[in-house]
Amino acid sequence: MRHCFSYGLFALVLAGQGALDSQAQERDTFDQAVAPILANRCLECHRGADAQGGLDLSQQGKALRGGESGPAWRAGKPLESLLWERVANGEMPPKKPLPENEREVLRKWIADGAAWGTDTIDPFRFTTESRAGTDWWSLQPLRDSQVPVVRNRDRVRNPVDAFVLARLESAELGFAEDAAPRQLIRRVYLDLIGLPPTPAEVAAFVEDPSDAAYGEMVDRLLKSKHYGERWGRHWLDVARFGESDGFERNGPRNHLWHYRDWVIDAFNADMPYDEFARLQIAGDVLRNNSPTGLAAAGFWVAGVHNTVVGGSEFMKRVAREDELEEMVGALGQTFVGLTFNCSRCHDHKFDPIRQREYYRLTAAISGVRHGEKEAVETRFHEQIEILEQELKTLNPMIAGLETKARKAVLAARKTKGKKPATPPKPYAQWEFESDLQDSLGELHGKAYGSARIENGGLVLDQQSYVETAALPIGVKEKTLEAWVLLANLKQRGGSALTLQTKSGVIFDAIVFGEREAGQWMAGSNGFVRTKSFVAPVESKADKEPVHFAIVYRADGSITGYRNGTLYGKSYKSSGLQSYQAGDSTVLFGLRHKPAGGPNRNLAGRILRAQLHLTALSPAAVAASAGVESDYVAEEELVAALSPTERSRRQEFLTRRASLLQRTAELRSKSKVKFYTVAPGNPGTTYFLTRGDVMKRGEVMTPGAVSAVRGVTADFGLAADASDADRRVRLAAWITSDKNPLFPRVMVNRLWHYHFGTGIVETPNDFGFNGGRPSHPRLLDWLAITLRQADYRLKAVHKVIVTSTAYRQGSKFRPAAHRRDAGNRLLWRKSPQRVEAEVLRDSILAVAGKLNLQAGGPGFVDVSITPNNGTTYYEPIDKEDEQLHRRTVYRFWPRGGRSALLDTFDCPDPSSTAPRRTVTTTPLQALSLLNNSFVLRMAGHLGARARREAGAGAAHQVRRIYELTLSRQPDAEEAKLAVQLVERHGAAALSRALFNSNEFVVSQ
Amino acid sequence: MYQGKRRDFFHWGAQGIAATALLSLLERDGVVQGAAASHPVRAKRAIHICLIGGMSHVDSFDYKPELVKYHGKPLGASEKPDIFFGQVGLLRQHDWEFKQRGQSGLWISEMWPHIAEQADDLTLLRSMVSDSANHTPALFVQNSGFQFNGFPSLGSWLSYGMGTETEALPAYVVLPDSRGGPNGGASNWTNGFLPAQHQGVVLRGGAQPVRDLFPARAIDRVEEAETREFLRLVNRRHLAQAGQDAALEARVRSYELAAQMQMSVPEVSDLAGETAATRAMYGVDEEHTGDAGRRCLLGRRLLERGVRFVQIYSGGPIAGNPRASWDAHESVKQNHSFEAGRIDKPVAALLRDLKQRGMLAETLVLFTTEFGRTPFAQSAANQVGPGRDHNRYGFSCWMAGAGLKTGTSYGATDDIGWKAVENPMPWHDFHATVLHLFGIDHEQLTYYHNGIRRRLTNVHGDVAEGIFA
Repeated sequence: MRHCFSYGLFALVLAGQGALDSQAQERDTFDQAVAPILANRCLECHRGADAQGGLDLSQQGKALRGGESGPAWRAGKPLESLLWERVANGEMPPKKPLPENEREVLRKWIADGAAWGTDTIDPFRFTTESRAGTDWWSLQPLRDSQVPVVRNRDRVRNPVDAFVLARLESAELGFAEDAAPRQLIRRVYLDLIGLPPTPAEVAAFVEDPSDAAYGEMVDRLLKSKHYGERWGRHWLDVARFGESDGFERNGPRNHLWHYRDWVIDAFNADMPYDEFARLQIAGDVLRNNSPTGLAAAGFWVAGVHNTVVGGSEFMKRVAREDELEEMVGALGQTFVGLTFNCSRCHDHKFDPIRQREYYRLTAAISGVRHGEKEAVETRFHEQIEILEQELKTLNPMIAGLETKARKAVLAARKTKGKKPATPPKPYAQWEFESDLQDSLGELHGKAYGSARIENGGLVLDQQSYVETAALPIGVKEKTLEAWVLLANLKQRGGSALTLQTKSGVIFDAIVFGEREAGQWMAGSNGFVRTKSFVAPVESKADKEPVHFAIVYRADGSITGYRNGTLYGKSYKSSGLQSYQAGDSTVLFGLRHKPAGGPNRNLAGRILRAQLHLTALSPAAVAASAGVESDYVAEEELVAALSPTERSRRQEFLTRRASLLQRTAELRSKSKVKFYTVAPGNPGTTYFLTRGDVMKRGEVMTPGAVSAVRGVTADFGLAADASDADRRVRLAAWITSDKNPLFPRVMVNRLWHYHFGTGIVETPNDFGFNGGRPSHPRLLDWLAITLRQADYRLKAVHKVIVTSTAYRQGSKFRPAAHRRDAGNRLLWRKSPQRVEAEVLRDSILAVAGKLNLQAGGPGFVDVSITPNNGTTYYEPIDKEDEQLHRRTVYRFWPRGGRSALLDTFDCPDPSSTAPRRTVTTTPLQALSLLNNSFVLRMAGHLGARARREAGAGAAHQVRRIYELTLSRQPDAEEAKLAVQLVERHGAAALSRALFNSNEFVVSQ
Repeated sequence: MYQGKRRDFFHWGAQGIAATALLSLLERDGVVQGAAASHPVRAKRAIHICLIGGMSHVDSFDYKPELVKYHGKPLGASEKPDIFFGQVGLLRQHDWEFKQRGQSGLWISEMWPHIAEQADDLTLLRSMVSDSANHTPALFVQNSGFQFNGFPSLGSWLSYGMGTETEALPAYVVLPDSRGGPNGGASNWTNGFLPAQHQGVVLRGGAQPVRDLFPARAIDRVEEAETREFLRLVNRRHLAQAGQDAALEARVRSYELAAQMQMSVPEVSDLAGETAATRAMYGVDEEHTGDAGRRCLLGRRLLERGVRFVQIYSGGPIAGNPRASWDAHESVKQNHSFEAGRIDKPVAALLRDLKQRGMLAETLVLFTTEFGRTPFAQSAANQVGPGRDHNRYGFSCWMAGAGLKTGTSYGATDDIGWKAVENPMPWHDFHATVLHLFGIDHEQLTYYHNGIRRRLTNVHGDVAEGIFA
């Protein structure tokens, strides 16, 4: 049974032979039966100029001439033929003897006269029992079949039904009754938009379940923005979309989400599928690096990327070839359902793809490399200019008011005699008088090692340090200040005050003697913001305390002050580092975490320290340092203004702050970073003998696979063609109207997601190892429909979901099951366990917590911990609006799945996942019962029911039932449910129904 | 029979995948269960002690008297070795005294005083080689046969091939070092493209030994019981209406198994019922051996209750200071004394305990490290520093139990322990051999994934027949 297709084909071919003349017949027998054996078992060694033993079996002439031991055979005389002798005694092939049936083919062929066929041997001409030839079904042109006539015509809503029903009837089966309206509306909502219908939508459809009403509902769903979110996610599975690099480092990718958004938008806009493919293959080139083009080309780099390549030439070449294989594999499987990647080391073992063709394909993409690119959005320029004009007029007005007041303050000071300037008020202040407390806020310190307070100062040695609580707010501009007495001036690399991310990966610090002995510097991670202040060497700080301050401005400038005066030169760094709320801490002594590294700790005494979340002016620093200056504190300034002036100034300042904020926003919006193709020089592509990177053969020009007939496999490009030309030609080959695989593979994907199983069960593999089509004529009819609709997918969705095949019920029928256990003929709509995303989104939706914010960087429900070269991702859950967005907007790292997504079969995006496995395990049950997210949402749904239905348990039960299951409970259910709610609250019922089969399985 | 079933996965006909999807629902049998195996099944379960960071073989299980002679001399090789830091110091002799042990006379150093007492139960593999001298790829190869992410680990393949003997516990349980997970984290016990039930399940201490085993917030016992009962009733009613659908039935059953797991996981994790003698033997209550002692004892309890594969990690994240792994770049003596001290007694106790309970005959014990360490010091070219760099060219692992030839060693490195010269054993051979012990032909245990019948051993693997009794 399972071989029926290939046997059938074989029989068909044999049956047709009667009409051929006997010579042609013998030639075909050779091509069909003998050539594949020779090709698979012998030619690896016995071919070409350096054939083993001098015997070349790939051409008749050479084979007859024979090798060192003589001619390979004597026609008609197996027993006198060397070939047969070696095969018969098991000597050849050397490692694995031939199976009995193949031996017999060879013996009989020699006995029958050893007629030759195509010369040189073409092992790909015919499909055999063990491999596909160029006559393989999926490679043939689309066949426009007549819509079959069926007996039960009133079940035919459109041609899809005729094709399906014809097969059912031939097996003496038929469709199930149409699904009940309530069941159908749930099914089509979950399928098309991945969210359940609201009770009102259910009621309306139950009221009018006519075909017309159903059709309108389908149209509405296909127009919903949630359609793209649902079907875009399917595509992301295929495109192996992951937001971290994988491999050893597995660092996060912060700019690949554009690709995800582009995919969702493309589905929503019903972008023609050929355009959709073209832009993913060559969008950056075709759209001149526009944001759209760069986002689309993210397809190439959505997969894993090895960032630890190794130093040797060999390692570098291997890493690059691995990368190319990953991309060529993704290309072939995604768009044409062929596993190109299996022919890197040899001709494809199962499909008619030559190793040479693999290298022509790699030549076509040899300019593709992982990287980041920036695109400029010009549409904000005008707005920015307007804002800047306003700033230009506003600044002098503020300055005018302030200068007047300053003068008044300073004059008054003179008359009053010397009064120290009022120092600026910091955000946090550590006096170190008797403890490690922040005297202004909550940033209290904790001592590590021997760090301790002695005589009004924090005493540190080279093992100890103090770390504070995390800053509850974000930090942009800042000033770090510390009063320090060093134990000695020889020490290198300790810090008086550090602001760092909790992990210590990013930091800014007042560091002594790290790069230059005896000098202060603005320390930073990997020195990215560090330059020399070019200042005199410190000579006193071991004898008397020194006040050192560093000011970090928004423009990236960094200025040091020693004892209130400028220290060396101010400089412009690579840019201001900002710190997110809750993510940073202050350290004293230790340059940055983790502790324990060499030369990271300060030896000495810190007498006082302050952190400002503003960039202090020179005068303010001087005031802080206690040096006499003309610094005027904000309070003094304000006091010197008249009430009118005060309010005008306040108005100006508010306006200026908002102008600055808006220009900054627009500027950041105009520069958009993309993780995408960063094309490099394509270089020269060589044929690699047996895939060995050190065995380079001839130079390969870009091209594709000749087995896809109708489209020429040669791109007509020179070996040094540009990356742009290569990929544009590749896109043209893939999307050609003459490429039958292109639409076939896509309509099969649609079918697969609508029914749970494709017409071909292996959506990424239409080759010999893949499945055979259950309804080949329907597949082609759908492919033609897609083409005729200008490749618009929504047209195909519509015809599928409005068919009876789709709309029929899902009830189990033992008799039908006995005939067709796998439901390949579609005698019912198979129930489908919903995907993890649909489950999570549905829970959010019915709990009333779904945050519909679309697009943009993903929400992060994992903690990200970089640890010396590896990145760890651990799931977290918390009450946070961002975490309530649809799952497709989740930041999607490799190896960092949440418990719920994980047990419900979300694939780790390390490779393409055209079909998700569907498992049912106890861990899955536990996750849905006990997961923190589920319990939170059960609480929310309970609260929602109480809010919307009032205090009565019966009302709450009805509300929860209609929200979760789109129906009312029957009398007995209601009784049980009311009991549960009365005893344990509405959340308990919510939790139970989230776990029910009816909620989790779409029927 | 088993081959026939395998062929179904590959050459599916019209009903192929749909049928297998149903089969995989809660399938407790593996794909080779009940098969007429071509060779004797020696192992029924395995426990894998996985050392993170690279244990020095020349200081532990690979005695090289010649190194004493060459101590302080240069390596003198012409090629540039593929090590990690690239510093080739002078050759360094072992830092521990070696002795012949037991009846067999195996040479084992004083680094392992307790394991050495079990020498007659060990099968030393002294000619291991790896493809990578870089921690994470080397660890991935060891666990999955590939240097890349996304390939199923050995434990997952065994779960897939052999199924599970208990439904109340996961088939593949992972017990990480209390100091943290290894580099690569959960990718080391991933099911890759195999169905999710074959993933390694981390068992930790505390109130939630398994993720989501109990409600994330406290729920009253009566409420819990009544909620579950309500769920059972509505699912039963629904099933009655929908017809006897296997997928729906499987979900109902999965909740029954979940309840069993909620009983059995705490039961297996509770070591209180073990005798004082047993606890003492494993070092459960000693500070230095407590972590590994508890995990080794827990490992035995898991195996007793039908878990197929238990993986115990020795070592946490690779970096950090002080090091929490075997990565002894700075000082082998200091680092390995500390690390071996944590696990020597517990692992020896595990061997002894399995033996006295009659389990060792059918339990395969694996003791591995991703690579060894260089016979030369990691220091300046004219010095004998105290640390050693990574060595992928030759190193030692061992196996025990499961019908192996015991008290013996297989393969050998050269005179100084630099490269494997006799029966070099790459990880693919190691994996092929392990599968063979389970009665599985490594070329037949395959899973179709995107056009390829994937194997644990890729396109390689030779069974080391020489180590079977």
